[in-house]
Amino acid sequence: MNAPVSPHHDVMRSQLGRARGLGSGHSGTGHWIAERVSAATLLPLSGWFVVQMFRLGGADYEEVAEWGGRPLNATMLAALVISSFYHAESGLQVIVDDYVHGKAHVPAKLGVRFVTGILGLLGVVAVLKLALGRPAPKA
Amino acid sequence: MVELRLPRNSTVGQGQFFPAPAGAKTVRVFKIYRWTPDDDKNPVMDTYEVDLDAIGPMVLDALIHIKNDIDPTLTFRRSCREGICGSCAMNIDGENTLACLKPIKDMKGDVIINPLPHMPIVKDLVSNLDGAYAQLRSIEPWMKADSAPPPDGERRQSIEERAKLDGMWECILCFCCTTSCPSYWWNGDRYLGPAVLLAANRWIVDSRDEHTGDRLDSLEDTFKLYACRTIMNCTQTCPKGLNPAKAIGHIKELQVERKL
Repeated sequence: MNAPVSPHHDVMRSQLGRARGLGSGHSGTGHWIAERVSAATLLPLSGWFVVQMFRLGGADYEEVAEWGGRPLNATMLAALVISSFYHAESGLQVIVDDYVHGKAHVPAKLGVRFVTGILGLLGVVAVLKLALGRPAPKA
Repeated sequence: MVELRLPRNSTVGQGQFFPAPAGAKTVRVFKIYRWTPDDDKNPVMDTYEVDLDAIGPMVLDALIHIKNDIDPTLTFRRSCREGICGSCAMNIDGENTLACLKPIKDMKGDVIINPLPHMPIVKDLVSNLDGAYAQLRSIEPWMKADSAPPPDGERRQSIEERAKLDGMWECILCFCCTTSCPSYWWNGDRYLGPAVLLAANRWIVDSRDEHTGDRLDSLEDTFKLYACRTIMNCTQTCPKGLNPAKAIGHIKELQVERKL
């Protein structure tokens, strides 16, 4: 006589155990603030950048390098690049949280940080090169 | 990864048709989701023609009429029929609401009724809310105080302190909001959802509770709290007219306040 075979269950952990899960990560507030602060700083920086690009329309490299060599312009440019990529990183984290589940989640989140970090760094180096690496003025 | 379509065993087919009785004057068509765990068949939408002159004004009246007089196999939850028990929460005409509070005449065309979205189905319109109930329990929705209560009575609260609970104590835990939330559909295993966060805020703002900081600690998590994307479906759909999105915003405000 065989006992009736009970159906197989993948998960028999209690609902409360599942709801508590791994507990709180005790983070997220910093990210939430950073997302909003970077959005707010991007507004004036982007406006400034658009105005400057219209002013520099048609300028040659020497003129742009001269413009980018001024400390205020270089600072604003670097701030724009850093804010942009920081904001992009924050936003992409959220997209990964929403759409990437399971084993791919952690690598995707780290990947986003790596790629946006490298691209942001590239932008900063370009700004520094423009600002500091200016060829000597022509005689 | 991203789910763009229903799983193969969840795609909904065409079901049975139950015509109106002869002589019915005001006929309304109800299309209702049917699924049973007793066979391996996919869910279907059954079509019922209901004589509105024979029943009361609410969608729940129609469901009870269908079960009593047309098709006794139809399964749904209901109890109080006056919007206080939260049992008859379902998706009616594309919106999560309580069948007992939803007037049939408020809708145009066929009335389409589905169970609360994106939850496991027990049968027909009965969705499994075990996970959401456990999430509610995980935020410990009861008063936690270390000071002894006054020996001669209850813990007292000023009129102003009591007023802070308005808009939250009224929640009947029907989970219309939680199951309307895309963020909960995506991450319901980690995100607590609007109903539970509203309940959490109810205890965070309670002047008699002394564990506010612990409560904020346990909520500060990329998913538990911060998976809220302020989509606002919760506030839009709440059949009691409450504002879970505002409660979630308040929790976030407090999290920021104690960090800066």
